[in-house]
Amino acid sequence: MSQPVIESLGLTKTYRMGSQQVQALAGVDVQIKQGEFIAVMGPSGSGKSTFMNMLGCLDSPSSGEIRIQGENVTHLSAAELARIRNRYIGFVFQQFNLLPRTTALDNVLLPLLYRKDHDGTEDFASECLHRVGLAERMDHHPSQLSGGQQQRVAIARALVNQPAVVLADEPTGALDTETGLEIMQLFQQLNQEGKTIVLVTHEPEVAAFASRQLIFRDGRLQSDKQVQAESASEHLARYRAQKQQEGLA
Amino acid sequence: MKWWMLCKVAWVALQVNLMRSILTMLGIIIGVAAVIIMLALGAGAQHEVDQQIKNLGGNVFVVFARGRASSGARGASGSVQTLTEMDAEAIEQQIPQVSVAAPTIWANAQVIYGNMNWAPSVRGVDNRIFPAQNWQLAQGREFSAAELNSAGRVAIIGATVQRELFGASDPIGQTIRVDRTPVTVIGVLDAKGQNTQGNDQDDLIFMPLDTVRKRIAGMTLASPRAVRSLIVQVADERDMALVEQEMEALLRQRMRTTGTDAPFQIRNLSEMVETRARTMQIFNGLLAAVASVSLLVGGIGIMNIMLVSVTERTREIGLRMAVGAEPGDIMRQFLIEAMLLCSLGGLLGLSIAVLVTRSLERFAGLTAIIQPEVVLLSIGFSALIGIFFGYYPARKASKLQPIDALRHE
Repeated sequence: MSQPVIESLGLTKTYRMGSQQVQALAGVDVQIKQGEFIAVMGPSGSGKSTFMNMLGCLDSPSSGEIRIQGENVTHLSAAELARIRNRYIGFVFQQFNLLPRTTALDNVLLPLLYRKDHDGTEDFASECLHRVGLAERMDHHPSQLSGGQQQRVAIARALVNQPAVVLADEPTGALDTETGLEIMQLFQQLNQEGKTIVLVTHEPEVAAFASRQLIFRDGRLQSDKQVQAESASEHLARYRAQKQQEGLA
Repeated sequence: MKWWMLCKVAWVALQVNLMRSILTMLGIIIGVAAVIIMLALGAGAQHEVDQQIKNLGGNVFVVFARGRASSGARGASGSVQTLTEMDAEAIEQQIPQVSVAAPTIWANAQVIYGNMNWAPSVRGVDNRIFPAQNWQLAQGREFSAAELNSAGRVAIIGATVQRELFGASDPIGQTIRVDRTPVTVIGVLDAKGQNTQGNDQDDLIFMPLDTVRKRIAGMTLASPRAVRSLIVQVADERDMALVEQEMEALLRQRMRTTGTDAPFQIRNLSEMVETRARTMQIFNGLLAAVASVSLLVGGIGIMNIMLVSVTERTREIGLRMAVGAEPGDIMRQFLIEAMLLCSLGGLLGLSIAVLVTRSLERFAGLTAIIQPEVVLLSIGFSALIGIFFGYYPARKASKLQPIDALRHE
């Protein structure tokens, strides 16, 4: 593996809350390579969300650098950062953040509409919906979809710009166990297809599906280890079998 | 993002809050409708005035003889001279821009035909009155030279006089009595209708100058060829100011007078009509100004609702920014939404204005003219209001930090 997809160098972030200075990040160095599936963990206030926002170019660091495919993006303007996000980052949020009164297809298409060179074709957007298993639901509005389906639309939207990395912030947080497992299964499949995925979660069971775990504490990286990822498909099969038994009993 | 996509997004946003959008537009709708209606009524009034002036002849002066209050004060009594037929000729000959100067004498008389009687305005004229005031003959003929030279007992009557005295019967060749003088009707004038003050312009009788001077009672004129007024037509309207100056100088010279109290007065008929019209236009302009205050208030309403919209859709803004919307994209989105709101309001206001002016024309008999440039102006102006009042909310939206916007509850 040559250069990392994204890396952070001495990343710090200091907030001012009233007269108090709060250090959310205190020097974090992480390298994320092509094809990794990383879980970012830590208690709330540990800095994991701040770290994710920096990786996603939604927020800028107080000091240190973010490099995306070798390019330092730390001092870019708001418009340039928007273009970087549009090019390299796919976001999946806990609350899906789909546009209501807009079809699944148009929701997926959204990132492409902000591209200057977009020719208006919907082919790749519908391909992405196919990939997440919603080929039949393209013309449905979010209100007509279940939570799991909405999150799949959001994942399709995160894939449509063929990003360097998909950033998922508690993607299963608003879903029930089974749907959550289905979503994790989808993430694992996407990772196997070569997508780089960074996932924030506070649930160890969810983090277990990743192959590398970053644990934050007090704004620092407490641990960074490669782990043997568990299979979401197996978990899902076991969960369904168990549920079936309970149903029979 | 492409413009048409932005318009689509804005359209969807307006539909989502349909009731709110309509209520917001109401200020613009009322403002635009009021402005267009006022301007249409103003244009209608102006149009009527123009018609009047055309009837009068927009290029016409009336020179009135002014009786001198005290004759001997400035000059010897012999030097006092009122307006005469010779002045008319002098004006015609010495001022090349004048096409015709028609001397007239005015009087009032009782006119009797059979058992009918009427009291029209009686004018002593010669044939120059026809071109000078754009009179056309409906029937009959003008005065002959003999009739003019020998105080012929003939008359040309206006349409109103014809109607009142003769009804449907043919007046030509009939004898009517003007005061005690029997005269023969030789012509009938084409009707002109009412003037701007609502006076009937057809309620008159033309007779030769000498006839009125000698036979109609009450004429006390200083000279045997004196007249009450001259109606002076200028060939080209652009020469009005020049002719007025030259006429003033010429008449002063002829009457040997220099003071401020010249024994004549030059009045521009179209100016008189226009003065009255201007009063009405000022009134309409004032109303239009009041109406544009409504546009302003409407604009503030737009700003208010756009601010609410930006707050409500903060998460949406955050999401759009996260997936690649630049601040400019967000700004354009909200600006277009405000513009669309205003332009739609403008169009609705225009439709209402058309309906209202149509019914005013139909039921109130007013003339209203909606000029195309007024339409373009008001629609353009309302879009401009959209930009002006939409700018602040749009800018506020574009300045949001994506991370704060996404976290917004």
